[in-house]
Amino acid sequence: MRPARRAVWLLAALAGVALGGPWLAPYNPSAAHRGYVHAPPMWPRPWEGFAIHPVVLEDRLQQRFVEDRTRTVPWPWAQAADPVFLLGADRTGRDVFSRVLAGARASLGLGLLAVLGATALGALLGAVAGARGGLADEILMRVADFVLILPVLYVVIVLRAVLPLVLAPGVVFLLMLAIFVLVGWPIVARGVRAVIARERLAEYVIASRAAGAGSRHVLWHHLLPACAGHVAVQASLLLPGFILAEATLSYLGLGFPDTVPTWGTMLREAADINELSRFPWTLAPAAAIFAVTLATNAALQPVTEIARSSNPTSPDLQISR
Amino acid sequence: MLIFCARRILLALLLVWAVASAAFVLIHVAPGDETLVDFWGQAPEVREAARRRLGLDQPLAVQYGRWLSGAVRLEFGPSSLYSRPVGALLRERVINTAILATTALILAAVLGIVGGLYAATHTHGPGAWLARTASVVFLSTPPLLGSLLLVLVAARTGWLPPGGMSSDAGAAWWARWADLALHLPVPALALALPLAATLERVQAESLGGLLGQPFMNATRARGVRERDAVLRHAWPVSLGPVLGLYGLMIGTLFSGSFVVEVVTAWPGLGRLMVDALRARDLFLVAGTAAAGAACLAVGTLLGDLVQAGLDPRIREGR
Amino acid sequence: MNRQPRTLLTILLIAAIGGTGFFLWRDLQGPPDSSSSSGASPVRPTRGGRITVTLRAEPRSFNRLVAANAVTDAFTHLTQAKLVRVNRTTRELEPWLAEKWETASDQRTFTLTLREGLTWSDGTPFTTADVLFTFRAVFDERAHSVLASALTLDGQPITVSAPDARTVRIVYPAPFGPGLRLLDNLPILPRHKLEGLLDAGTFGQAWNPATPPTELAGMGPFQLAHYEPGQRLTFVRNPRYWRTAADGTALPYLDEVVLEIVPDQSAELVRLQSGQADMMQQALRSEDLAALRPHIDAGRVSLVELGVSTDPDAFFLNLRERFWSNDPRRGWITRRELRQALSHAVDREAFAESVFLGAAVPVWGPVSPGNTQWFSPNVPRYPYSLDQSRGLLAGLGLTNRDGDEWLEDEHGTEVRFSVLTYRGNQVLERETAFLRDEVRKVGIALDVVAVEQNALVDRMLKGSFEAIYFGYNATDLDPALNRDFWLSSGAAHIWNMAQAKPATAWESEIDGLIAKQTSATDADERRRLFAEVQRVFGEQVPVLYFAAPRLYMGVSTRTVNLAPSVLRPQLLWSADTIAVTP
Repeated sequence: MRPARRAVWLLAALAGVALGGPWLAPYNPSAAHRGYVHAPPMWPRPWEGFAIHPVVLEDRLQQRFVEDRTRTVPWPWAQAADPVFLLGADRTGRDVFSRVLAGARASLGLGLLAVLGATALGALLGAVAGARGGLADEILMRVADFVLILPVLYVVIVLRAVLPLVLAPGVVFLLMLAIFVLVGWPIVARGVRAVIARERLAEYVIASRAAGAGSRHVLWHHLLPACAGHVAVQASLLLPGFILAEATLSYLGLGFPDTVPTWGTMLREAADINELSRFPWTLAPAAAIFAVTLATNAALQPVTEIARSSNPTSPDLQISR
Repeated sequence: MLIFCARRILLALLLVWAVASAAFVLIHVAPGDETLVDFWGQAPEVREAARRRLGLDQPLAVQYGRWLSGAVRLEFGPSSLYSRPVGALLRERVINTAILATTALILAAVLGIVGGLYAATHTHGPGAWLARTASVVFLSTPPLLGSLLLVLVAARTGWLPPGGMSSDAGAAWWARWADLALHLPVPALALALPLAATLERVQAESLGGLLGQPFMNATRARGVRERDAVLRHAWPVSLGPVLGLYGLMIGTLFSGSFVVEVVTAWPGLGRLMVDALRARDLFLVAGTAAAGAACLAVGTLLGDLVQAGLDPRIREGR
Repeated sequence: MNRQPRTLLTILLIAAIGGTGFFLWRDLQGPPDSSSSSGASPVRPTRGGRITVTLRAEPRSFNRLVAANAVTDAFTHLTQAKLVRVNRTTRELEPWLAEKWETASDQRTFTLTLREGLTWSDGTPFTTADVLFTFRAVFDERAHSVLASALTLDGQPITVSAPDARTVRIVYPAPFGPGLRLLDNLPILPRHKLEGLLDAGTFGQAWNPATPPTELAGMGPFQLAHYEPGQRLTFVRNPRYWRTAADGTALPYLDEVVLEIVPDQSAELVRLQSGQADMMQQALRSEDLAALRPHIDAGRVSLVELGVSTDPDAFFLNLRERFWSNDPRRGWITRRELRQALSHAVDREAFAESVFLGAAVPVWGPVSPGNTQWFSPNVPRYPYSLDQSRGLLAGLGLTNRDGDEWLEDEHGTEVRFSVLTYRGNQVLERETAFLRDEVRKVGIALDVVAVEQNALVDRMLKGSFEAIYFGYNATDLDPALNRDFWLSSGAAHIWNMAQAKPATAWESEIDGLIAKQTSATDADERRRLFAEVQRVFGEQVPVLYFAAPRLYMGVSTRTVNLAPSVLRPQLLWSADTIAVTP
């Protein structure tokens, strides 16, 4: 059971970062440090005993900084007089490292919860559609199509107009969660339905029914595990999708106020061709999203293996490989 | 089979109408209208006259009726933003987007499905690890960043034009095609790479789950070589979920990706949709929503059809 | 598969990837320095050549009488001509299609003599009938021209008549300060192409982007050769252009001008850097200046200074009393002292450094130093002083009563209001964030809400907003041509629009001054009156301004003989004199 334990630890670590991010951040993520616009990263040099050198502004218009090798500053959590940016500063002089940590709560929290909700709802409805067939299948799939086809664009614009101008971050969080779950379930449902529609005609299901198993038993113990692998992959694909979609929603008008950092909006602010090449540290949120996606992929891999091994259709994986 | 197709097509038409109408109503309800940005500094009478001229002072039902009566004859009304009929605008943009979408879809299919096949059959090799990591990288990169990076590389190296759909290439037909071929890679890659990553992941998982099943063991026991067994027996069955997604991708790409079209200056449907939305051009909004919905409906229908065609179990089960 | 072909294939694959990687790395360093020297500029511009200009938006109409956006304006400057022109470098009125004019003693009647032998780009002779037609189109009710209100003074339209074949008589309903400068925005349109459409009532849709270029006759330096929808407009030299340079060379110098549509701002700059564009349609942002520096040093791009922007971004509260009638904040939110306190609380130097990287000047009113003719330095300025700010707020009864960081009034209502701004405009978002951080120091809470442009304008027109921070682009530098902003009855009087009668004494005072300034014809008198307007505005601060950026254009070094202006279109207004080095 070691792979499963590793998966649980990884997911727990992700959840921990999501919850604890803002407290780990050395600086207020919205604090604009004047005079440090696009300051480069000040990272500890291992060969100098992990000393950090501060940077000094050389040319404001060129946003050019020079390292002051004569001085060292302590780690950022010590709150020294000079700010220490482990990952540099963004266009407004805010600490990128703090913003990535603080942004984990909104981005990761929203992403993980939305993935849970969308996969749960999608798997449920897809399973019902696939197992039942007939009219229920048709109706559910048409509803899924309608939701997929309607551009969220229009709904968000109208939603923004009818809501009060100033929204509390909690309200925005719930709204976005609802939108993601409602928009995400059809994708999962379609895949689950395809797998279940295929599997319910398999011999083991027929055998199971012949042995007297009820529909719910068949669904829960045979059909759903058969699509566990697919659902796991979908979940790992939805997570980065939702994290990035949060930025699109906020671009359309329904987003957190700019006092709440999120990875998606940080990337959108950094999205300027010249600034990307001159200040690549503003892409740190992309690295964070990459790490999170890799972690979820790695975490969900054992789930796939377990689901396959518990499925009576594939008793001996080892023989064929 | 025929009845199945006919029913789906009818439903698709219904869906397109529903979406276009929903878009029309939603944008009408949204604050602001077409005359605002142009006329806000002018005397109120000028703005009122403009609103009257565009029919905006009439109740929603009347305006909707006007649009609908034209739409059933496939005349989508005039666009106040561009002073041209919406139909003509749509035709141009849909063709541009179609060219881009087709290229991107082919690229995504080749990269994604081949990558997924490889990853599923060589699970513990370095190649599979590379494919998985590359997929995760492309999945975590928003299309905005991807297209910006590609434009940057194209502009710095000068190998490819940094955007647009064509340059002055002269009149020769082969020169124009070559010119188009040069302009396609940047936006097509920006669109295709995240999709290829998604396809690779889904394909790898789907195929991996099938490789240990009894029918595969039986095939191998019959003496069929591993490669043939995988390609001719397991792979077509594994395409189910892949095609479900692919159909969705066809639809999404053909309705245009706003972000990529803006950054790479490609004159497509996505840009038109967002411009119409910003300007609250009712007829253009309804027209682009209808076009987008039609693309999505056709895409999902195609995906479902191929899926049913490829998996005999689904076909016979019906 | 056999071992040998597989190894061979792997080696080839690695070689291919390695080779591509090497060439990519090498070429990513940027194109090599151009051999042309940046110092020497040619003495005489030569004819020939082509420039590429990038545009951000697609053209929506080619008819300047019904559309007033940047693209239509650029098109008009390239292909159309007017009766008289304001030279943007000297700010003087120049003869253009009219070679001379006389002003009658009543300051209302102008008699213009048209040049002889002028023809349209398609060969049709240009006559006074075209001028009469243009004016008729402006005032036609079915055409709904956007220029109609500008050419209407005191509710009466300007009348025009043609006493003989070369003379046009223009009569203003009242003496008008700017005089004939009013005609700088009016292109003369071809009667033979558009009269039929005007009579049929379809003039509003005339010259839309689908019109074949042969229909678009004009008397400007270029004519439209080809429009590829959504991509580019190609203009070629108008062989019948009437103007010649001082040394007799037939203008324009350029053979071709290409306007390339590139919607993304950073993609536009990338084209300028890589040499695929010669100039951008808009001025550079402050951060672009640094990105261009290596290219400027390498001699590929040159920086053209335009001056200080004449349209600083505006922050204003809703001063319509009706809006606040049920609001607990009504006792102090519309008071002048609050606005003055806000003005004291902002460090404008830091504002310029933070938002514009130092490339900006502090401003305290809507007229910036870039508007050299009308700027009055004797405007009350509010120096950066948190103490003065707090003092003014305390005078309104706003102090910190409960120990948190925000002020409250005597009823305990927090001093907090919302500010709307454009979503997607990075400069405005930065400015609003900076303002919020600054006023936080005196205890005022601002909730920044970024909304879509359409939604913001809708709220502004309905008067349902608390505060707005946006960019208001004046149509002209002369205040008499901007009356809608200054007059309390104006539709662009942003803090309290379209008032039936002036809501305050100072607005009434400004109304009177502007009315006098509009009808006065002596330049010094007009300046004096407008300086007084600026003084009253500065005392009452209905709108707060903080910094106006210095504007620059990036131009390829091969483009020469430019006449930069701070007004849009900054370089294309004099497209006929632009040349390229051979």
